[in-house]
Amino acid sequence: MKWITRERPKIDRIACPWLIKRFVDAEAVFLYVPKEEVFEQARVQEAIPYDIPGAEYSHYGEACTFDYVIRKHELSDPALQIIAIIVRGADTGRFDLAPQAAGLWAISAGLSHNYPDDHAQLEIGMKIYDALYSWARFARDERHSWDPDLLTYRKPK
Amino acid sequence: MKWITREHPKIDRIASPWLIKRFIDPDAEIIYVPFSDVLSQAASLDAIPFDIPGVEHTHYADECTFDYLVKKYRITDPAVLAMAPIVRGADTDRHDMAPQASGLWAISAGLAYNYNDDHELLDKGMLIYDALYSWARHLQHEKHTQQPYEHLLLEMFNRFFKPKQREGSHMPAWAQELKEMIQDHIDSSLSLKELSKDLDINPSYLSREFSKHFNNLSFGEYIRKQRIDRAIQLMEDPAYSLTEISYLTGFSDQSHFTRIFRKYTGQNPSTYRKNLLKK
Repeated sequence: MKWITRERPKIDRIACPWLIKRFVDAEAVFLYVPKEEVFEQARVQEAIPYDIPGAEYSHYGEACTFDYVIRKHELSDPALQIIAIIVRGADTGRFDLAPQAAGLWAISAGLSHNYPDDHAQLEIGMKIYDALYSWARFARDERHSWDPDLLTYRKPK
Repeated sequence: MKWITREHPKIDRIASPWLIKRFIDPDAEIIYVPFSDVLSQAASLDAIPFDIPGVEHTHYADECTFDYLVKKYRITDPAVLAMAPIVRGADTDRHDMAPQASGLWAISAGLAYNYNDDHELLDKGMLIYDALYSWARHLQHEKHTQQPYEHLLLEMFNRFFKPKQREGSHMPAWAQELKEMIQDHIDSSLSLKELSKDLDINPSYLSREFSKHFNNLSFGEYIRKQRIDRAIQLMEDPAYSLTEISYLTGFSDQSHFTRIFRKYTGQNPSTYRKNLLKK
């Protein structure tokens, strides 16, 4: 299936394609077009419009499109619930929602600045959300700090 | 030049190579080896060892290797200086140092999980730090709202209609937001004037309405109480000195901290802490 949204993605329009490709439709194709062409192109190309006011897949209240995809497709992976709050916080400027939101926003905003090509940005974005997923699923309790004693400590044989 | 460090990098051993390649030595070759081989390999490969204990390019007190490189090579680019506390916070598990530290840590920990090859990880890390740099340089003060009008409507709805429905029992949205803002910035100087600007609420209205929603405390009293509460919380962790605590709770200096603390608790911070840790 094709999915279409506005060009120049930052958070939700990178996070949703990741979510759709990994959990909803592995064959999904993503199109980015100027805002005013989204619905017209969606019709012509038979694509699902998303993350644009007026589309079914969009923001509802304080929830962003990422939240809606999770709800609609009944995705129950607990790691996704953790990522959803971070994405919502980063996407709606509510950095208080999750401690990781401000960092995700900074890195995503910088990527968007560095990659004028939306698809190149999506490719790297996929790796970032893969990383967030691995962190949420496997490494959330891992702590990292500098402890020279621990580093030079040798287990007695 | 060759630079060598421990294998399985996470933060500092990715951020420091980025800094070296972008600002110090564009042709730098980065080598990752097991911890026990770093020094011997450094000697035989004629490489500079970094981010291990006992070498020059490493951690000093609270500062990480990234900080040392910034200092040693006199890097003054304000964007790099803005990145330093983010890297330091993520690297030393002090996520309170910068709001972006937790996110950088989560993404970096996940990348390290996904890429077993250290050089592949470094390649991806370079993209992340390039992005962080661009953000710090050009976009630090930009806020992202996906659908500004919808957000604005929602905000108006929350601010003007919701509170009426639950008058008395619940805080209005602005007070809730203010409470969170104070919580987030308890380590910095907070003025009613600035906060009211951020909330887009008239400062004299805010000052008048404040105590209704904050246990009858004035703005100043409430802030001081929050600071003292936070200080007591930090005291439970022996890793913090009282000087650090006074700094982290937004007091201008330790004697000011001691004075206010005694006023609220009747005890000196050091005595209070002793009793606290005894329990």
